[in-house]
Formats: sequence, C-alpha cells, structure tokens
Amino acid sequence: MERFAYYDTGHEFPEEIVMAAGFIPYKILGDVHELTDPADRYVHNYICPFSRSALTEGMMHSDEWAGIAFCHGCDTTNNQYDIWKRHVKTDFLYWINTPANNNKTARSFHVRELKRFIDHLEKKFNVTISTDKLKEAIKTSNKLKSLMRQLASLRSSKDIPNPDYHAIVRKSVQMPKDQLIKELESTLKDWKKRPDFPKDRVSVLVTGSDITYLEWMEVLENAGLRIVRDDMSLGERYFAETIPESGDPIEALVDYNSRIPQPPTRLPFEARLDYLFKCLRETPVKGVVFQNLKFCEPHLLDLPYMTDQIKKAGYKLITIEREYTPVIDQQVVSRLETFREII
Amino acid sequence: MGFFISNIDLIEQSWSKGKLSMLSVGLDIGSITTKIAVMQDKKILGTDVAFTGYSPEKAWKDILEKMLSELKLKESSVDRIVSTGYGRNNVSIAQKKITEILCHAEGARHFLPKVRSVIDIGGQDSKFIRMDEGGGVADFVMNDKCSAGTGRFLEVMARALEVPLNEFGTMSDRAKNTVRISSMCTVFAESEVISLISKGESRENIIAGIHDSIASRMVSMMGRTGVMKPVVMTGGVAKNIGIRKALEKRLGIKLDVPETAQVNGAIGAAILAQNLNGSSS
Repeated sequence: MERFAYYDTGHEFPEEIVMAAGFIPYKILGDVHELTDPADRYVHNYICPFSRSALTEGMMHSDEWAGIAFCHGCDTTNNQYDIWKRHVKTDFLYWINTPANNNKTARSFHVRELKRFIDHLEKKFNVTISTDKLKEAIKTSNKLKSLMRQLASLRSSKDIPNPDYHAIVRKSVQMPKDQLIKELESTLKDWKKRPDFPKDRVSVLVTGSDITYLEWMEVLENAGLRIVRDDMSLGERYFAETIPESGDPIEALVDYNSRIPQPPTRLPFEARLDYLFKCLRETPVKGVVFQNLKFCEPHLLDLPYMTDQIKKAGYKLITIEREYTPVIDQQVVSRLETFREII
Repeated sequence: MGFFISNIDLIEQSWSKGKLSMLSVGLDIGSITTKIAVMQDKKILGTDVAFTGYSPEKAWKDILEKMLSELKLKESSVDRIVSTGYGRNNVSIAQKKITEILCHAEGARHFLPKVRSVIDIGGQDSKFIRMDEGGGVADFVMNDKCSAGTGRFLEVMARALEVPLNEFGTMSDRAKNTVRISSMCTVFAESEVISLISKGESRENIIAGIHDSIASRMVSMMGRTGVMKPVVMTGGVAKNIGIRKALEKRLGIKLDVPETAQVNGAIGAAILAQNLNGSSS
C-alpha cells in the first residue's frame, strides 16, 4: 500500500478518506536532524522552522508518496501550499479548505469540500471511495483513538517516560493503521505492567507548539518533568474525540472535525482555554509547560492571554521559546530544571 | 581574585571540642568564570574566581585544589559539595547539582535575609528572581538565547572601545550625555557603537549608553514578574557601578550589592550543600 502524505497544523485532514481510497495516511512531520537549506531557498528563515523542515521533506521524499494534501491551517501552512505547488514534484497536490468557523454554514461548506476531495481522489487514482469503505476506515480510526486514549491515561499512574509516549504518538499519524493497532494493543499490555509513577518525577501538562522530535521530550524527561496530559495536535488532540459510526460518513467526519479540541489557528481563545482547564480538572498536575517553537505565530498570539489565565487559576507555569534543533541549549535545560525545583 | 580566611585552626578546634561542624563547598561553573565558596557552617572560609576556559572539568578541579590548599584543607575533610551553573553536571564529586536560580536566591538570602528580588547578570545570561515571603523562589525570568544584556555583551563592547572592562564603571560616571544604543543584538550593537565612535561620540557617553541599554533590557524582563523590594544584585556584572546606577535610575530604587556578588551563586550552593540530607542525595 502506498503512503498518501498530508500537511496540516491541527487535525483537519480526513485520514479516513485516504484510508478508504486504499492509501496509508502519512502526516508530514519534517526531520529536525536534516538541514533545511533546500527549503531555505524559497522560505525566509524568520518563518516557522518546522514548515521549512516539512518543505525539505517534501522536496526530498515526494516521489515516495502517491499524493499530498494540505488543509487550511496557520498562515504559514496556507502559504506553503503555493510554494509546494512550484517546488515539490508530485502528480497530485490538493488543498482542502477546512473551515475555521464552526457553524451550520461552515459545516455545510466542509461537507462539500470533503466530497470534492473524494471526487478528485477517485478520478486521479481510479478508485471508488464507497460509503462502506469510509465506515470501515472510521471504525479503524476509532479503534486506534480508543487505544491511544487508554495509553495516554496511563501516564499519570504508571512509569511512562515522555519519549515512550512521543514514539507512539508519532507512529499514530505515520504508520499503517492495522499494523499500528496491533502494536498499540501490545504496548497497552506492556504499559499496564509498568511500575507506578516514579517519585522523582513531577507531573506536568504540556501545551503550545507540537513537539515533533524526541530530543525535546528527552529534555523534559531529564529535567524531571513528566508529561501526564498534553494539549498538542501531535498528541491528545488527535485522539480526544470519536467519529460517529452511524449515519452518513462524510457528515460524521465533519461533525468530528467540529468537536476536536481547538488548535491555536482558530478563535475564540476561550475554547482552547476551556479545554485546557478541563484537562487540568481531570488530571491533577504540579505545573504547566507552555512551550513555543520560535516563529510559531498562532501560539505566540495565544500566549499572553492563555498564560495569564492559567496563572490566575493558581497553576505554576513556565513559558519557553525553543529553537528547532535537536541540540538543546543549556539555558533551556536550566530553566526547566529550575521550574521543576520550584514546583 | 579570591579571598580566604586561614581558618583551619577554627575547624580543628570545633572538632576537637566534639562539636559537629559542617564543611561544605559550592562550585559555580559559569560560561566565563568558575567560582568557589567554602563554608564552615554559616561562615564563609574562602572564595575564589577563575576563568572556565575550554574544560569545565579542569576549571573546577583546579579551583578546588587551589582553594583547599590555601585553606590548608584536604578534600576528604569536605563534607558536602553542591555544583551549580552551566557546567554543574561536569562536577562528578558533587553530591547534588542545583540550578543557578536557586543558588543565587539562597546566596542573596544569606546576604540579606529579607530579600524579595534578585537581579543576576552573568557572563552568558541575565536572570531576575522573585522570592516569596519565606525566602523561596516564587518566579523567575531569564534572557532568551542571546548575549545582549549580559557580561559577554560588555566584553564585546570593551573590545570595540579599547577600554578595560574594569574601567567601564568609572568612565560612565564621567559621561555628560547617555547616548542611545537601539540595537538589541550584540553584533549589531557593536557596529552601532563603532558608528558612534566614527561620529566622534565620547567613549564615556557611549559606555553610559551601553549600561543604559542593559538596564533597559533587564527592567523590561523584570516587568514580566513584578519587582518587590528589597532587591539584591549579584553576578560578575554587579561589580560595574555604571550598570548598578543605570538600573537604580530606571527602577527608582536602591539595589543592595554584596561584596561577594560575583561568587554569590557559589555561596548559595555551599549553603544548600549544608542543608542536604545525609552525605549524598
């Protein structure tokens, strides 16, 4: 089975449609270990470094993918689509105009957008994306999300180091789903047998930009900060909600999209904050880490309001702006370790 | 650079009288200098400063050996060691590694028990620490990964102006006017300073402008958590009277600066070492 790549900033991409078309959905996550000079020729270095890494991955690996689709996300993502059109070799590059609003008109528009995507896929790849195939894909997705929820919930009671969690989250958006479900079932058995939450770790909720590479998870772990909840797209937001399995599958996908926890590219701020507080009520934590990737504008826009509200609610909070690099600056380490010491 | 008290007799007297005495060492391995403080109970027996250089490991070993030799102490007589600073993880013999924020807070509290805020400007970073009523760290902010507003920034400027760094304070006192240095980046600020030199601006006025730009940056950072009095200033840059005055002017309050400002982190580490439970953590 061929991989079908997608690039979105939240979870706007309907993986189930490409699964029903017979492809493996593959979320483009860049590679922090690769220099981004191919992309830097076309995108200034004051633009989100993750997006430049994703473009580099596209330029180097697009021949391995059946096609690529973008969803409406942050301004950088939206503008990247035009750059990809010129500089990434592919026979199928598609734009899904996922609505930012969440009302009746937006949902109706979204239904039309998804049908248009299905129509293009069917014509380009000579496949039929039937209702049954879509329903089957939705069931597979829900099974996966359920397993991920069970695994994620073990973080607050068992010894699950941050890199272990990161590894499964990354796989969840890149691996063939059937194979992944088997692996997650086995991981769940393993995690349930793990020792209890270690006494030398303090529990935190992590929010902000998606953490796409292991090294940053290791830094948090080594600083003694154990992530027991997260508010990231490459994380809980991916599996927080279930897709309705009855009724029209396209309507179900649109309904699902309207319920997933809100990424920073959407307004109002309050919806994000409500979700964060819900997580904090559900799982007690000692502190909140608000980490932003340098030049990640949607998160920087949210930051003043969100951090102010979190602090007002009495939570200990640290904000960190990080570079896109696997080599972690000692100053960041000191700040995280100090945070751990004072909480 | 250091000072020490020939206090071996005092320690031996304490031991011979059967009094339990705690001998602790604090090692602060900074980006530019390595600092040491040796304490017996709450008394500072000696402190020293040396350049860190390429090898943090060599730096702490050398300074420890020199300090112990000056104090006529053996390494085996040291009860506990705590390391701090960027090179803290290189100190293999330390029972505990503690971040510089906590050590500076503790050092400042030793100097002024009622301290509520600490400004620390070191070689590579600047920090502002706000403390709670109990003397614990309530919040802190650090500069971003940038040398502007740090000791390294001053070093670069001293080179551009061909003025020894230790003369910066007195020279800025003689300034007739404080020029405005608007660049945030050290490299750009250096070229701005070179432009000012070529325009014939006096070195005194430029130095006053440099101090003011550091103070301005620091005060902005302090605004993120709020300043509470009394404020203690620590770190090597605290030795510079020009920076102190610029900060006091912008803050509108007087800063308390200990004689031992540069080794404050090491003193804090030595104090925290005494509070460790058992011989190791």
